[in-house]
Amino acid sequence: MNWPFRNITKTALTFYVALMLVGLVTCGPLHASTSDEASSRITNADDALKLAFKRVLDAEEAGANVSSLTSDLDEAGESLAEAEVAYRNGNLTGAAGLADRCSALAGTVSVEALALKDSALADSQRAFWSTFIFSAVGASALVAALILSWFWFKRAHARKLLGMKCEVASDAEA
Amino acid sequence: MLKLENYKNVFAAAGLVGVLLIASPTLGWFVHLPGGEKFSELWILGPGHMAEDYPFNVRSNESYMVYVGIGNHMGSSAYYVLYVKLRNQTEPLPNSTDNAPSPVAPLYEYRVFVQDEKSQEFPFAFAFPEVSSSENQSVVKSLNINGVPFGVGKLALWDPENRGYYYQLFFELWIYKPEQSTLQFHNRYVGLWLNMTC
Repeated sequence: MNWPFRNITKTALTFYVALMLVGLVTCGPLHASTSDEASSRITNADDALKLAFKRVLDAEEAGANVSSLTSDLDEAGESLAEAEVAYRNGNLTGAAGLADRCSALAGTVSVEALALKDSALADSQRAFWSTFIFSAVGASALVAALILSWFWFKRAHARKLLGMKCEVASDAEA
Repeated sequence: MLKLENYKNVFAAAGLVGVLLIASPTLGWFVHLPGGEKFSELWILGPGHMAEDYPFNVRSNESYMVYVGIGNHMGSSAYYVLYVKLRNQTEPLPNSTDNAPSPVAPLYEYRVFVQDEKSQEFPFAFAFPEVSSSENQSVVKSLNINGVPFGVGKLALWDPENRGYYYQLFFELWIYKPEQSTLQFHNRYVGLWLNMTC
């Protein structure tokens, strides 16, 4: 009496087990690869942001005004922070998208920072040479003026000494 | 009257001072005076941008707002990461002596770039949509930060001394060190004690 029902249950069970196995084989790696992909894109974005920051620091050290680059970095940082939060919350697609946005922004900042550093270095070199020339010419002129005035003073001093009359003081009564 | 030798010394001294004065802009390129103390600031302000009206007695499903600020006095632009964490009374805070961060996992984070001698302040809105309490314990099941929901599942036991279920929302400041290419705990944190009794 129970045989047909038992057969149906057995078939259904086999079907479910097969379905689960297929699910494990296909969806498991798919999910893992998405998670790995999101994680690697976040890592790439993090590296890109760090590199961009280093280049901005170099530009700043070279004397460039980096305020606009800093606000661009802020925007990239915000995207990376949102990507990290989305990843922790399991929103892998959102996390990957935000990480890519961060990478793109950081890449732009890196390129701009390099250009800004080069122009700041050129400006700084120009400023250094103009300062150096001013100092060198000014110092040479001062030394020359001092030497000339020293010779003039020496001569005037000698003339003054020669023009002096010897005076003999005597306390003898006239 | 001075001797000629003495006048020579006066001329030499005047020349030396003059040359140093004229050369000082060029010397400035090579001589760098040491800067002041390097440090960062971290603060929380209440909803009115003042150090008052901080949320303390909190209820579920109500929204609260504070402002978190970072000031940079490190001598150059800095890259900061601010981690937001929630702990109960038994979980550890960062250890200032060992310069170690709290082991509590971060929920939310800010990544900010602040130029030297500048500061940044940003709003921090939070709410506890799901809180349950039974007998001597309270459980915060979820927390909303700036509109983003987080599953928390944090338990606090009744504090008979202070009469409440206490949680602390705290902010840990980390800084990126370009020389070592690492993000390091900056040994600064600020927090808000929250009483979930109401």
